[in-house]
Amino acid sequence: MSEGTEISRRKFLSIATWSIGGFISLAMAIPAIVYIVGPALKRSKAQNWIRLGPSSRVELNTPTLFKATVQQQSGWIVNEEELSFYVLTENGRDYIAMSNICTHLGCRVRWIDEQGQFFCPCHNAIFDKEGQVVAGPPPRPLDRYEVKLEDGLLYVLGG
Amino acid sequence: MSAKLGNWLDERIGWRQAWQAIFLRKIPKVNWLYTLGSASLFVMVNQIVTGILLTIYYVPTPDHAFDSVQFISTQIPAGWLIRGLHHWGASAMVILVVLHMVRVIIYGSYKFPREVTWFTGVILLLVTIGFGFTGYLLPWDQKAYWATTVGTSIAGAPPLIGDTILRIVRGGEELSAITLARFYGVHVWVLPITLLFLVVVHMYLVIRIGISAVPRREEKS
Repeated sequence: MSEGTEISRRKFLSIATWSIGGFISLAMAIPAIVYIVGPALKRSKAQNWIRLGPSSRVELNTPTLFKATVQQQSGWIVNEEELSFYVLTENGRDYIAMSNICTHLGCRVRWIDEQGQFFCPCHNAIFDKEGQVVAGPPPRPLDRYEVKLEDGLLYVLGG
Repeated sequence: MSAKLGNWLDERIGWRQAWQAIFLRKIPKVNWLYTLGSASLFVMVNQIVTGILLTIYYVPTPDHAFDSVQFISTQIPAGWLIRGLHHWGASAMVILVVLHMVRVIIYGSYKFPREVTWFTGVILLLVTIGFGFTGYLLPWDQKAYWATTVGTSIAGAPPLIGDTILRIVRGGEELSAITLARFYGVHVWVLPITLLFLVVVHMYLVIRIGISAVPRREEKS
C-alpha cells in the first residue's frame, strides 16, 4: 500500500464517521425538538355549545346567573370546571350572555341587585347591566358569548 | 478559522492530547466483535437522551403513570418514536452488553492486566439489568404490575431475611405507589449515576491499558 492511498483511506473513514454521526445526531435532535415544543404549538380546543338552562329563568332587564360544568383537558387529565355566565334580556326574545370574569385582572364580578350594577371586589370596578364599564380600571366591557335558544333552552358558544 | 480556534483552545486546555489518547491510540488488528463495547456505549447514549426526554411528560404515580405514558405515545408529536427508541433500546442494551461480555470471555480479555476492567464490566452488567427491571414497572400497565409482583417476590426467597428484603424492595407488603416512586427514583437517579461513574472508569482503563489482541494458537517453540 502506498503512502498516498493510506492517507486517503484515513480521510475517507474520517469523513464517513463524521457524516454518519452527524446524520444520527440530527435524526435524534429533530424529533427531540418536535417532542418538546409539540404541546406548545397546539391551539386551544374547538369551541362547543354549552347548555345553560331554560330561558324562562331569565328575568326581564336583570342579568341572571347561570352555571355550567365543562370538561377541561389538562395534559392527560380531564378536569370538570364550573363556568358562570350572566344572561340578560330586555324583551324576552333577544339574549346577551356575558362572562363573569372581570376584564381587568380576571376576578369574578357579581350582580348587585339593589344598585343595578356588576361589582368586582378586587379593584372596585363597576359595570352596568349590559357589561359596559361604569367605573374602575377595566380596559373593556365584559366579554360576551354567542347565544342560541333551542326548545326553550339557552346555549352559549365557549370552551 | 476552525484550525485557529482549535489551536487557541489547545494552548489553553490541551484537548489534542486527550483526542490523541482517546481516538488515535494504537490498537492491534482486531475484528468486528470488538465493536460490541462501542455499540453498548452508543445505545447507552440513546437511552440517556430518550430517557431524559420521557421524564418531561412522565409522572410516576399510580393515578397518572399509565395515562401519561399513553399521552406520550398518542398525543405528543414524535412521542411514539422517543418512547419506542427507549423501549427497544433497553432490549438492545441488554443483548449488546451480554454479547460484549461473551466476547471478553471467549477471547480471555479479562486476564491480567485487565481484571479491574472486567470487574467494572460485571457491575455494569448488573446495573444494566437493574435498569431493565426498574424500567419495566414504570408504564404501570398490567404487564408491568404483575411482572414486578413476580420479579420482586424473588427477593423474598432467601430464608430468614427474605421477607425483610422483599418489604424494602417494595416499600411495603404489596406493590403500591411507594414501589412505583422508588423504582422511578432508582431508575433515573441511582442507576444512571452508578452507570456513568463505572463507564468512565471502564473506558479509562480500556484506553490506559489498551485492548487485547485476538488470541492465537501458540507457534511451536
